[in-house]
Amino acid sequence: MTGPSGVGIGWRPEIAGFVAELPGLRFVEVVAESVPAKGPLPSGLAQLRERAVTVVPHGVRLSLGGAEPVDPARVAHLAAVAQRVDAPLVSEHIAFVRAGGLEAGHLLPLPRSREAVDVVCANVARAQAELPVPLALEPIAALVDWPDDELDEADFLTEILDRTGALLLLDVANVYANARNRGTDPLTLLDRLPLDRVAYAHVAGGAEHGGYYHDTHTDPVPPPVLELVGALCARRRPPALLLERDGGYPPAAALRSELDALAATAGFPAVT
Amino acid sequence: MTDASPPTSAPGSDPHSGRLAERQAELVAALVAGGPPPAGFAPGPLAATRAALLRKRAGEVARHWPLLAAGLGARWATTFARWAADRPTAGSLRDGWDLARALHERGVLPPAGADELAVREAGLRYDGRRAPRPRRLPAVTRADGAVAVQIAGRVRLLRPAPRPPAPPHADGDGAADAAGSAAWISD
Repeated sequence: MTGPSGVGIGWRPEIAGFVAELPGLRFVEVVAESVPAKGPLPSGLAQLRERAVTVVPHGVRLSLGGAEPVDPARVAHLAAVAQRVDAPLVSEHIAFVRAGGLEAGHLLPLPRSREAVDVVCANVARAQAELPVPLALEPIAALVDWPDDELDEADFLTEILDRTGALLLLDVANVYANARNRGTDPLTLLDRLPLDRVAYAHVAGGAEHGGYYHDTHTDPVPPPVLELVGALCARRRPPALLLERDGGYPPAAALRSELDALAATAGFPAVT
Repeated sequence: MTDASPPTSAPGSDPHSGRLAERQAELVAALVAGGPPPAGFAPGPLAATRAALLRKRAGEVARHWPLLAAGLGARWATTFARWAADRPTAGSLRDGWDLARALHERGVLPPAGADELAVREAGLRYDGRRAPRPRRLPAVTRADGAVAVQIAGRVRLLRPAPRPPAPPHADGDGAADAAGSAAWISD
C-alpha cells in the first residue's frame, strides 16, 4: 500500500474499461460510498488491486462539517472500504451535505467561523479515531459564501489542518473556481496554504453557467486550470495528481490527452 | 492520529455562535425545499447554488432511470428541475420513480419511461413513502401499454409501450433507448 504517486484518475464504473487499459497507471480514487463494505468488489477495481494499483477511497457523504456529530455507521463504512482496498489513506471534504433532516445532495460550504472550525475538528477527530489510515481533507468549490466569515480561506483551512493533523487534498479546479467566482487571485491562496501537507491534488473540468464558473466534473479541464496546476507544481509539486471525471464522458482519446497534459504539466511520466 | 484540540470559541463573542445546526438547516431548506432565503445570503449565489444542486441531482437520477431520462431527451433537465425544485431528494431511485408516476398521471410519460416504470413496479413494491421493497409474490405491471412480469424475483418486459411514429425531423433524443432497454429487462 504505497501512497498516491504520479497521475491518477477517478475510477467510475462508466470508464472502468478505459481505466483498466491505462498501462502506466499506479493510482486511482474511488467514491467510497459506491463500494460495498462486504461482497465482491466492483470487478474493474478488483483487477486494479491485483495489479497493485493504489486505490484511495474518497468519501462524499460523511458531512464532516455538519453541526451534528458525524454518523458512526458512515465512518465505519469508510474504514471498511479502506481495509478492503488496502488503501494508504482516505479522503473527505471540508463541507456539510445534510442538515435538519434534509439531504442537500452535494457538498455545501461552511461559514469560515471559529464555531465551524470547532465543529469540523471534532468530527474529524471522531472519524480519525475509527479509521485505519490517515485522512486527507479537501476544501470544496462553493458558489455561495456565508455572510459572517471571520477567517479567510487560508487561515480557515490551515487551522483545521493544524488542529486535526490531517493531510490536505488540494483541488486545483476548486481553487480556480472559487477565485474566479469571488474575484480573487488563486495564486495568493496557493502561496498561503501548507503545500507540504498535500497528499495529492484533484484536477477537474468545469464550465460557465449564468455568470459563474461551475466545477462540473463533466466538462474538459480548461487551460487556466492546467496553468494553475503548473503554478502549484512550481511552488511544490504534490506527490500525485488525480483527474476527476463524473459524467459527459468523452471519447477515450480525449481523456487520454487530458491525462497526458497533466503528466506533461507536472513532469510526471505519462500513464497512457 | 493527532487529537483535535478542545473547542476554543468563546460563547457569546459572535451573535451566530452556537446556532450552526439551525443555520445549516435553514440554508439546506432554502436550497432544496423551497424554504425562505437565510438572512444575509446574497440572492444570486443562492440561486446559482440551487440550480447547480438540481443539475447534479438530475444527473444522478438519470443514472438510476436511464430510459426515463433518454425518453425525455432534451427536455429531461427542465422537466426534472421543475418537478424537483421544492422537493427534497428521497434518493435517486425514489426521485425518478415519483417523477415517472407523476408524468404517467399527467399522460406525458415517454414510452421508454413507461417501459422502465413497468419493470420497476414489477420488481419492487413502492408505496411512495418508504424505500421500495422486493415483491414476494409474482406480479404483472402495466404503464401506458408497457407490460412487465416478475416471477421469483426475475423481471421481464413482456411488451414495450407503443412508440409514436417517428417525427419527420427526428432529433436523436431517444438514441439511448435501444441500447438501454436490453440492460434493464434482465432484472
